[in-house]
Amino acid sequence: MTSHDGGAIIGRVVATEALPAGPHEFHFWTALETPIGIGAIVRVGGDEPRAVYAVVVDGRAYSDLQTPLHEVVASEGDPASERGPTRRVEVRLWKAAVLRHQPDEPVQPVPLAAVRLATRDDVAVALRMDTYLAGDGARGIPIGVYRSGGLAAAVSLDADFLLGPESAHLNISGVSGLATKTSAVEFLLASIFQHLPERQGTVAAVCFNVKGPDLGFLDQPGELTEADRELYRVLRIDPRPFDRVRYFAPFKPDGVNLNTLRSHPDLVGTVQPLVWGLREVLGYHEVLLNRDDLDAKADAFLDFLDDRVLDREFRDEWGGVHRVQSFADLERLFRAIFDGLEQAGRADIWRTHHIATIRKVRNRLLNISTRCKGLVTDDGSVSDLPFGAFEDRAVYVVDVAGMDQVAQDLAFTRIVSMLREHLERRELGVEHVVVFVDELNKYAPADGPETYVRKMLLDISERGRYLGLVLFAAQQFRSQVQRRVVGNAGTQVFGRMDMDELATPGYQVLSPATKIKLATLPKGELMVRHPHFTQPVFVRFPRPPVLSGAEGVKRFPPAVDVPFEAAVLRQLRALDRRIPAARVTDAIAGRREDDVRRALLATRRSRPEDTLAYFLAALGPAIARERLAAPAASSSPLRSVDDPYAP
Amino acid sequence: MAFLDGIQRYAVEGRIGLVPVVRGYVAAAVLERGAGGLRPEGVVAEEFVVVPLARLDSAQRRALTDAGLPLVDCAASERAHPILDVQLAAKVVERRRAEVEAALADRYVRARPDGWLVVDGSIADLGTLLGDGPRVLGLIKSHETQFLDGADLEIALTLPVGHRTSVFSRSTGQRAPVYTWYLRLWPWEDHELLHGLVRVERPALPETVREATSVSRWLLAERAPLAARDARWDRLLYPVQQVETFLRAQAGGWW
Repeated sequence: MTSHDGGAIIGRVVATEALPAGPHEFHFWTALETPIGIGAIVRVGGDEPRAVYAVVVDGRAYSDLQTPLHEVVASEGDPASERGPTRRVEVRLWKAAVLRHQPDEPVQPVPLAAVRLATRDDVAVALRMDTYLAGDGARGIPIGVYRSGGLAAAVSLDADFLLGPESAHLNISGVSGLATKTSAVEFLLASIFQHLPERQGTVAAVCFNVKGPDLGFLDQPGELTEADRELYRVLRIDPRPFDRVRYFAPFKPDGVNLNTLRSHPDLVGTVQPLVWGLREVLGYHEVLLNRDDLDAKADAFLDFLDDRVLDREFRDEWGGVHRVQSFADLERLFRAIFDGLEQAGRADIWRTHHIATIRKVRNRLLNISTRCKGLVTDDGSVSDLPFGAFEDRAVYVVDVAGMDQVAQDLAFTRIVSMLREHLERRELGVEHVVVFVDELNKYAPADGPETYVRKMLLDISERGRYLGLVLFAAQQFRSQVQRRVVGNAGTQVFGRMDMDELATPGYQVLSPATKIKLATLPKGELMVRHPHFTQPVFVRFPRPPVLSGAEGVKRFPPAVDVPFEAAVLRQLRALDRRIPAARVTDAIAGRREDDVRRALLATRRSRPEDTLAYFLAALGPAIARERLAAPAASSSPLRSVDDPYAP
Repeated sequence: MAFLDGIQRYAVEGRIGLVPVVRGYVAAAVLERGAGGLRPEGVVAEEFVVVPLARLDSAQRRALTDAGLPLVDCAASERAHPILDVQLAAKVVERRRAEVEAALADRYVRARPDGWLVVDGSIADLGTLLGDGPRVLGLIKSHETQFLDGADLEIALTLPVGHRTSVFSRSTGQRAPVYTWYLRLWPWEDHELLHGLVRVERPALPETVREATSVSRWLLAERAPLAARDARWDRLLYPVQQVETFLRAQAGGWW
């Protein structure tokens, strides 16, 4: 049976004194063969002036059997006996949580009326999507397809509540190994890039690849099933890989092989080295130095270096002039200070800083380039993200998977800080940046000491939406993440969850049936909480339109590390395949590896038309030692003169 | 296979002088079984007012008629009696319930000549319908009236579980003749004598005798599911109980 203004009637609201219908919750019964289940959206009322939209949160079935003993008696104690020719009367009793009353006021108990399957329009109204899906202010970002009773309806998020300024941030939880979290974020980024209206501003994404090859192939098309394509059709998203993806990865300690699994010869040319020098990292010494190192005296000396020494002409008391731009320059300055103090015979104080403090800071700072080798260089070479020139709808992937923890923290902190600074000045190049961080429980744990990274994440989560800095974060266990960080996420997404995790207090608001559904959620399904949705909603999302990390490394196996010379050639050939090996070999033979690295980095950064010429120019002429020939035999000796001073 | 049962209710709504005005409600339903489930095949419900019209004047009758419910006449005691007059009205209600059941049975048997119809109670009131040899049986749970005596009665009342008596003819007076037998559905040894004992009625035809054993066997199979919500579960078939539950739900405010 259908009504002219709604879906099929599938049940009726029931209310008893013990089980009354309230304004926020009610019960209804259905036939045994009903298309609905946990998460289904229904509408109460059809022709009536009032309508109530609700989502099914629990379901029960029972018969008129009073006690199991009666079954035993009827079966004469034999479970294998026939069950009898008549099936017991059963009821399917569902509990529903109200999503919306229409009209919104006055809020009254749910009427004892027919319950209908929600239509596509009903879903939009129930989730309050009608306020942002149509008209001049349309700003819906599809996140998945709601499916129930044969209906497939797109569910969209409000861009103002996903990317700011109303609220922002997205947090996704789910057990590891199902590829749900990463896939969901990849899909959502594609959705944002295609659906965010131009009037909402420009947007880019910075994704930190924290493990394996997860985000290594966003520019490569993935395989999609027909079911995936159908979901894309419903969501009106073109299933294509990202048009603009830029990869950044540090070097390995050898300084030439890139520290990434995206090192296949066909792809490595698109990976730009991520290399920082002293200037880039000194401002983040709090990340690199532990709390014990950072007493007030060390902090004061670091501030002195930052304010008075770095990138300026600095004259020491012993006549030396320094311009510190790299760790090597810094070491020269320290050497001058120690030598000068020693020669002057006052070995304990220099410009109010104690020698012990100076030595400690020196040791810690110079150790950075060792601990973060590959990311931080001694010589001041820099290859960085294009802060100030970010492109609209571009993804910047920073591969930190191969770095140790300190280097990861440094990369994460500096990049996010730079994004924030540029956004504050409106100089980034785009108005919104989505920063995707996986394993949030590692960077912003609920327990443990306060870290610079955690403080920064908290700051983003609380202030980022005003700047356009949006955090998309993922973790396995939400309960292990700092509460304020997850609490500030306007949109919460859940994949399949661990039952132990669901038993923690953060999930008390969910019904037992919803928890069970979450614990058994198939791959590709999510539960979404969004400011407009008064109850969680289950949606299905398609496989992302890009190659997964696991498939990517199969199709593009990472190249094995090669010796220095071969690595240089490989990187140059990634930019221009025609470069003859002999020219490169000759050019770098006998040259210092640091000089070659610097030239290579400059070439990769500039991406010139004539790669080889640029590289050779950057390398410069070799400073050769020239052996002078013996004096010529024909040359005349000096004429002998009388020496007036000869004895 | 289908199951027939009926319900009746009455209530004194008021009195005109000493004359009781009784509101009656009768309903009957046939639930047909298919794939283990029961669904209504026929439902009849009537609500009416029973009153001894002879004791009312025309204005009083008109006032009752204007109330909107059909008026049904009933006999009145020779002199007004507050209890007997109500009892006489109740008999009218009971009779109407039997008529409604019979009509529904008739309708079902004609619509499904090959189907079995199990009636809760005696089938003697089904009248001429029984002459056509329908597949109808009545299941009687109460044993206030005994049709046997002496050794025969002892045999009937001490039947072991899964046993039946031989078929015998039951006197029905002016009503249609029926054949009947006793059947023990549940063991009585640890209970009272009538525990699990039902009496089965079928039309007085030769096939009733031939089919008595097979009919008894499937009645034994009907013990499951147990009609355990009812105190008479040892003699009540679950589908019959469901007919009653269905009728009560339909009756709504009358219950």
